[in-house]
Amino acid sequence: MYNILLVCAAGMSTSMLVKKMERAADNQKLEVKIQAIPEAEVTKHSNEADIILLGPQVRFMKDKIQEKAGVTPVEVIDMASYGTMNGEKVLKSAIERIEG
Amino acid sequence: MEGMELICFELICNVGDARSSFIQAIGEAKNGNFQEAEKLIEAGEISFAKGHKVHGNLIQKEASGEHTDVSLLLVHAEDQLMSAEAFKILCTEFIDLYKSIKQICKSNAS
Repeated sequence: MYNILLVCAAGMSTSMLVKKMERAADNQKLEVKIQAIPEAEVTKHSNEADIILLGPQVRFMKDKIQEKAGVTPVEVIDMASYGTMNGEKVLKSAIERIEG
Repeated sequence: MEGMELICFELICNVGDARSSFIQAIGEAKNGNFQEAEKLIEAGEISFAKGHKVHGNLIQKEASGEHTDVSLLLVHAEDQLMSAEAFKILCTEFIDLYKSIKQICKSNAS
């Protein structure tokens, strides 16, 4: 079971990405919990997360969020995957990073 | 994924990336790294131009009589575009300010 957190400013665009990632996970019969949260709630959820992914619009907060997240890895979602809402690719690279 | 959704995401992705670069540029200038700040502004401008082109195409279509359905996602994308544009203007002002402050501090120290 992988626990993935997606962070963006309002949580609107990332929540659409969550749906695409969940669909990709279903297709591959992977057990994942994926949540989209606003930046302000990172501390509340970072303990349970295996990885935190940031949208390009909050890339500038990476250091700040890493500070809050402690040992949980924080990564910025690849621009091309985000712009095309490629849930499968985002999921794959997240799992690779967790297993890494 | 529908065409309009993709267009919105291309817009959000590019202007969002630009906005991040502009905000990071202010941070670099604050630490006195003005060259790094300039590089970030250049990178931000490239991303912004890409997003702006996507938006420009929509406006041109509308102007030529081809109506675009307005969704909340499109409004959100335009919101991000405006925010990036504002940060672009503000970040150059901030960087100029940090340069002036640095110079004043230097001349006071000597």
